[in-house]
Amino acid sequence: MSLFNTINPSACCTATPRNEATRTEGSVQKPVYQVTESDDAYELTVNLPGVAKDGLEVTSDAGEIRVVGRRAWSRPKGWTSLHRESAEATYELVLTHENAINSEKIGAELSDGALQVTLPKTEKVKPRKITVN
Amino acid sequence: MRIIRYSPPTTRSCSPAYRRYARSPWAGLESEIDRLFTSSLGNEAGPSSTKVPVDLYEDKDNAYVRAELPGINRDNIAIEIVDGSLAINATRKVKEGEKEQSYTYARSVSVPDSVDADKVGAVYENGVLTITLPKHEASKPKKITVAVK
Repeated sequence: MSLFNTINPSACCTATPRNEATRTEGSVQKPVYQVTESDDAYELTVNLPGVAKDGLEVTSDAGEIRVVGRRAWSRPKGWTSLHRESAEATYELVLTHENAINSEKIGAELSDGALQVTLPKTEKVKPRKITVN
Repeated sequence: MRIIRYSPPTTRSCSPAYRRYARSPWAGLESEIDRLFTSSLGNEAGPSSTKVPVDLYEDKDNAYVRAELPGINRDNIAIEIVDGSLAINATRKVKEGEKEQSYTYARSVSVPDSVDADKVGAVYENGVLTITLPKHEASKPKKITVAVK
């Protein structure tokens, strides 16, 4: 991104503004996620294995949904690592949308490391039936 | 051959027609490049991905297997030890509208002979399965004091 902006300065004004202050520090991993759509809402499923409720942050900003998950477990003393496949990085997922979500009615539920976020659509984008006279 | 100093293009040097549009003509390309990068570097497989990342640890009494299995009901996790190999099988049921879809996760790890298969324990917490494999008494490090005469 930044490289592209230095090459073509005209593009920097249109680039998505990112709030640098709220960005997580340290290494970050993008979790596995899926978005499904129904008539009334979008359903976002994020796999966050190892994240407890305390370490989870779901924030909704203008046109942006941010999920940050910190792992609750750390290796106890005396445990020697023989083989690693998982990462210790914090999960971070940022999804942008076109303000078609009613941010006051967002619901989130975390169970067994799987986060389910319901993002209800605003009235204006819901499909409407028009009666013909 | 002449060497010419590179000067980055300014808004003025670009075609004036661009300024008529609110979005830069590059905006779409830029997000597409971003998407391609993140999809090839990150994991964008969705919850249908049935990979089970496994970590192996050891301390002086036990060996530990930690497997990431998010969103699975405890009843749908099966752990078996057969012929020195530990098999983890799990089924995740996901509601997709009115239909229910199930995904099967399977992973097997070879277990050293020093493990006492009768005393294996497992805990499932925050989507991570931790299996404790106690070592046989015989294979534990022992401190022997030898008296020197």
